[in-house]
Amino acid sequence: MWNRLPGVWICVAIAIASVLFALLATNAYYTSLVVWVLTNAVLASALRFVLQIGELNIATAAFFGIGAYTTAITAVLLGWPFWLTLLLAPLVAGALSALFGWVTLRTKGPYFLLVSFAVTEVVRLIYTQTNAIGGNSGLVGMFPPMAIDAYYPALAVALLAATLFALYGVERSDLGRLFKAIENNDAIPRSVGLNVVLLKVLCVVIAGSAVGLAGGLHAYANNVIAPSDFTFFVAILALAYVKIGGEGHALGPVLGAALLTLVGQWVAGISAWENIFYGAVIVVTLLVFPGGLVGLAARARGLVTRSAR
Amino acid sequence: MYTTNWLRPLGAAALTLLLAQAGAAQETLKLGISAPLSGAAATWGLGMEWAAEQAAERVNAEGGVTANGKTYMFDIVSYDNKYSATEGARNAQTMLNRDGIDFIAGTIGTAPVRAMQALTERKGVILFTTAWGKSVKGPEFPFTFTQMNTPFEILVPFYNFIKEQHPDLKTAVLISPNDATGQELEPVAVETWKSLGVEMLASDWYERGTTEFQPIATKIATLNPDLVDFSAAPPTDVGSILKELDVLGWNGVKVMSAGTSVDALTAVAGEAAEGAYLGASADFSGETATEVQKELNAGAREALGEPLNGITISSYDAIMALRAAIEEADSIDPAKVQAVLSSVRFESSYGPSGFGGEATYDYPQQLLIPVIVTRVENGKAVELTRSNPAELEALIND
Amino acid sequence: MELFVQLLANTLQIGAVYVLFALGLTLIFGVMKIVNFAHGAFFTAAALIVTSVVPFATVELGVPLWAGYLLAAIVAIVVVLCLGALVYSIGFQHVLKDLNGSFILSIGLLLILNGAYLAIYGGAPRTVPQVLPGTVSIFGAALTAQRLALVIVAAVVTGGLYLLIERTRLGLALRAVAMDQEAAMLQGMPFNRVALYGFLIGAALAACAGVLMAPINAVTPVSGDEFLIKAFIIIIIGGLGSVTGAIIGGLFIALIESMGGYFFDPSTATLAMFILVIAFLLVRPQGILGNVE
Repeated sequence: MWNRLPGVWICVAIAIASVLFALLATNAYYTSLVVWVLTNAVLASALRFVLQIGELNIATAAFFGIGAYTTAITAVLLGWPFWLTLLLAPLVAGALSALFGWVTLRTKGPYFLLVSFAVTEVVRLIYTQTNAIGGNSGLVGMFPPMAIDAYYPALAVALLAATLFALYGVERSDLGRLFKAIENNDAIPRSVGLNVVLLKVLCVVIAGSAVGLAGGLHAYANNVIAPSDFTFFVAILALAYVKIGGEGHALGPVLGAALLTLVGQWVAGISAWENIFYGAVIVVTLLVFPGGLVGLAARARGLVTRSAR
Repeated sequence: MYTTNWLRPLGAAALTLLLAQAGAAQETLKLGISAPLSGAAATWGLGMEWAAEQAAERVNAEGGVTANGKTYMFDIVSYDNKYSATEGARNAQTMLNRDGIDFIAGTIGTAPVRAMQALTERKGVILFTTAWGKSVKGPEFPFTFTQMNTPFEILVPFYNFIKEQHPDLKTAVLISPNDATGQELEPVAVETWKSLGVEMLASDWYERGTTEFQPIATKIATLNPDLVDFSAAPPTDVGSILKELDVLGWNGVKVMSAGTSVDALTAVAGEAAEGAYLGASADFSGETATEVQKELNAGAREALGEPLNGITISSYDAIMALRAAIEEADSIDPAKVQAVLSSVRFESSYGPSGFGGEATYDYPQQLLIPVIVTRVENGKAVELTRSNPAELEALIND
Repeated sequence: MELFVQLLANTLQIGAVYVLFALGLTLIFGVMKIVNFAHGAFFTAAALIVTSVVPFATVELGVPLWAGYLLAAIVAIVVVLCLGALVYSIGFQHVLKDLNGSFILSIGLLLILNGAYLAIYGGAPRTVPQVLPGTVSIFGAALTAQRLALVIVAAVVTGGLYLLIERTRLGLALRAVAMDQEAAMLQGMPFNRVALYGFLIGAALAACAGVLMAPINAVTPVSGDEFLIKAFIIIIIGGLGSVTGAIIGGLFIALIESMGGYFFDPSTATLAMFILVIAFLLVRPQGILGNVE
């Protein structure tokens, strides 16, 4: 259903409704909630995007941070205009992703997982030791310009939703099919003369730019950023969203992010039990519904079509 | 195993709902707490949450707080800020815009607190914080109040006292954790020691979560300074370093400016902790502690398995200040409460108290409590001296 | 000279725990091809159990400290083995060889276990009295008797593990499965059982490290996680799945920590470690002794 055109239109309708909600809702908590859900959705979708080539990229957290720091540094320390600071976030994150991918993608599987983890920690440690960007205290005071301030949540939601559609568009294109082919067996694409490393780097760059933009938007939404916001744990939560939503479809990470973020808000305030709750959700989903929500829906649909026959 | 565990929150939620309905006859006034409740710093957050609940219980048992002819019962709502700015901002959004909280009675962590301020100051919500450093204070943050002593209150009297005790101090080494508090404290500490004529041989950093301290102990022992200042390092880390230093035969003056918990320190270091000076610890079970502090401390030992310290008890003091200010303003409008907070007088857990610190921060937002210097003697914190800031002295004599 | 000996002694002390910890992690990876992020939870469980059994045994049962500690060690290892078997049978068994699935499963387990430890024990640091008080001096280097015992026990355990892997049928099965699971299964090796044994040995090694560290460092609900990051670095450098590699890697990282912490500062040493590991992975992704895939 979702693979066909009507499904896409339903998603577009939901996205437009979200933007309108962010624009019109008067309670700042609910508009922020929509922004958090979509930020998490982009993180999870980007993580899944690289999973298409079979790699688990923990450095997703690092590029989210790089996007946020790019925006924060150019906005607060250099005082550059709003749109430019926002535009630079995906560009810088994308460029550094290219460097990262070009250097690290000759490793794969557990080695790539661990090297991306190490890179995330290094980047975070560098922030903490650089006094010019606030060290451990981070940077404060990223505010959208007055004229935009009231519409900022709607703007962020629109850009994040557009990013999600863009990722989906690439996945459905010929390029997306090539990524899938690499996951299955990178000897085949290579045998027909394709540069596999270049394709992998491209995949990481696309995902890196997406989270870079999300990071830039996050900096303005949050007003304050600090190194502790960009630990490897960000990527781990994103992986939880992917697993719970389901890897099988582009909608999976979005659903997972929405569900866990909303439920997480509901359980926030139970303090120490929050982690146990998250852990239990991850373990139970993984063991009982390995396909996640999307897998569950597909199974349910299978039952429906079968009984209809 | 996990089934029972994840059912608990459901139970807790149901219980809260029931209680909320049972108490619907009276108005409740929610007070927020935002502190680390999981991970390595959980013990601080859980202690602060507990102390806040005790304070609320006490106020409610005494008939609540009255403003504009209505009686309000305090209700504590706490959120885990995971020590990060992102979570701090989310805590603030949730408290202010979902729960409708106007008073935040306790926060821990510089980064999350700075993130919260972006919202609380804009919306005019009162924020109490333990966060150190001048970056969270000043006239541009009129709704922010500090609920405990910070290095700017502690360091000068504390270092002066130590220098008086050991007049021949010449050299020192400073060890700081690489975190926001460590970075805020380091320059102030270096400067203050220099002004006392003590030469800084080295100022080294280590990462939070370090488990092995022999390398740093070996370095200190080789430099052989008269004094080691562990600044904002947590007590267990300091304990480990002191133990290694003892093995290596170094025995100079040991200083913890941000030393909070003697129990944790001596549990790890044993005899090696003897004689260490602590700047932010108070012995809440000793002779000089007030009755309130003794009672709270004993209760915390029972409930949490460890005594209170200067950070965790601060939510109690913040809530007492809030009660006084709300009654003084005769309103629960945070702007009106804020207007009187700077000048209100109230009974903190330490005794009579108020707010001051205009000379340091250009705005009276610092809780006035005594600076207490303690030293480890026979495994216990022994109070050596207690000095009231001049403003507190004036307030008491007023 | 004396300084050099001291730095070397530091390296050995630090390295002993790292090696024990990393051996378990690398063994589990080798056999099951999973990156177990919950490995530190075994360490923490054992250390926490020691901190509650030792006071119980010495105060309630009135046994001497050394006997109480031995009892605690046995209880801790048995409990961790049970925990390991439980975690394996309800969890890891179903995601063998699924790198991403097992990784996220281990994180889910870590969140649950850490939350449970915090709920049961509270966040306050817990300690046990030193079983072997006093300091010894070796060639001018000073270290506590407790630490020396740790180094010796760690060396014995490591040696024992080495013999187990090289000389026994179980060891042969573990090696065969690690090298080529399908071939091993074709030879009639019960993969599931071998994987369980590998997992339990790994858990027991972590428990051992936890038991040994409890009298030395304060124990908190997150104690084990702090070793975990180091252990990952170590097994990358040594080669994922390589036992000898874990030993060499553990000592190498301990050397960097010891020298870097002395000549620069510990914070810089930590950063250097991560940068080194990235460089290492790029030049020689299979580690010092890893198999080429």
